Amino acid sequence: MFFHITLERNMQLHPRHFGPHLRDKLVAKLMKDVEGTCSGRHGFVVAITGVEDIGKGLIREGTGFVTFPVKYQAVVFRPFKGEILEAVVTMVNKMGFFAEAGPVQIFVSNHLIPDDMEFQSGDMPNYTTSDGSVKIQKDSEVRLKIIGTRVDATEIFCIGTIKDDFLGVINDPGAAA
Amino acid sequence: MAEKGGNGSPLPRGKAAAALKQGSLKGNNSSTMEESTHIEIDSSDSELEGFVEEKVPTSLNANEKSSAEQKSGKKKVSFGSLKSSGKASFDIPTAKGNLGKGGKGFNVGKASGKGNIPEATPIKPLVTEAELKLELELPKGARLLMDCEAAEVLQEIQGHMTVLSDDPKIKMPEPFSKALQYAKINAHYTNVQSVRQVLETLKQNGVTDGEICMIGNIDPETLDEVYALIPSLKTNKHKNEGAIADVLASLANFRTSN
Repeated sequence: MFFHITLERNMQLHPRHFGPHLRDKLVAKLMKDVEGTCSGRHGFVVAITGVEDIGKGLIREGTGFVTFPVKYQAVVFRPFKGEILEAVVTMVNKMGFFAEAGPVQIFVSNHLIPDDMEFQSGDMPNYTTSDGSVKIQKDSEVRLKIIGTRVDATEIFCIGTIKDDFLGVINDPGAAA
Repeated sequence: MAEKGGNGSPLPRGKAAAALKQGSLKGNNSSTMEESTHIEIDSSDSELEGFVEEKVPTSLNANEKSSAEQKSGKKKVSFGSLKSSGKASFDIPTAKGNLGKGGKGFNVGKASGKGNIPEATPIKPLVTEAELKLELELPKGARLLMDCEAAEVLQEIQGHMTVLSDDPKIKMPEPFSKALQYAKINAHYTNVQSVRQVLETLKQNGVTDGEICMIGNIDPETLDEVYALIPSLKTNKHKNEGAIADVLASLANFRTSN
């Protein structure tokens, strides 16, 4: 789910950047440091939308660096347990399949795939129903529910299920039109 | 950080955001319910890593997920745990993760301490699906964005970035591109402001921001779908059923063709 939140960060700036364009350099450094990162609390910082405030700089003892407290607004993406997402399948194997929803990876174990779907190996491994009417393969779009999340330093990884009502394949790229 | 030891066993630093009552069903009958130590741990740290144990509803009917529920009624974020990393400082103080019922809930309550004593936890009448209420622990001033709203914002940012950036070395970060693509694909509506206005009317019927956002993202067609995918709405079904039905009818007008 996307959020628009205000975050705060202490930015350190080398004295060589001091001058009339100090603020611009600070903002550029902020964007470079923060955009695309992932934190456990807020999820993926997708984009910075604005800088709200830059506080007074504090010279650090022993070095010439100056620390500025910067308050900024950003769009973040963070999955939650219980959330329903539409994801694109990236890989299928006998343990289940991997899907991506934005920057987040989701794994759906074969235990959380409906029992009537079986794994079919081959050039294009997939899960197919017994009558062949529904197929999950690479690039299929599926609606799934997040049932668990795990946060590493730089990414969020989720576990999902398609075993409940109204979950499963939305769009199968391999289906004949 | 304060360590909270239950039963004298040392706990690792815990920032688990849950008061946990884990029902360990090991060797316990369904009818046996014991009180577990109720411990609440704040999750205010941004260094939350690894899995955070969830609150497990000790209703032994819950056979799908073992999410502990909280006694105090305070809202906490719960993340299902897959496993605890070594650094994971959340922890279940007393009961082990309830794996008795299939263990699918990824609630491997793993206190790294050895002194964990699995205890059966009292069954709480709260529905299992209360866990799915998306108890979002948002920082102050946070605003939930539906996918269609996020798509608009991100497209605007992308427009600015391409205009302002003459430096070919500056590229969009990968999460940005992925998030933009995801938001665009899942933007189901033509008129985002109208959709937001329509959905905001549900607040009067006790629907939370998270639930409103979910309805906007899912783009459901029927009431059954809404209640199946957002079970937390069932608790106030008598209150919100009519309003949600009206909203679904209105949203159909804003749906895009894809």
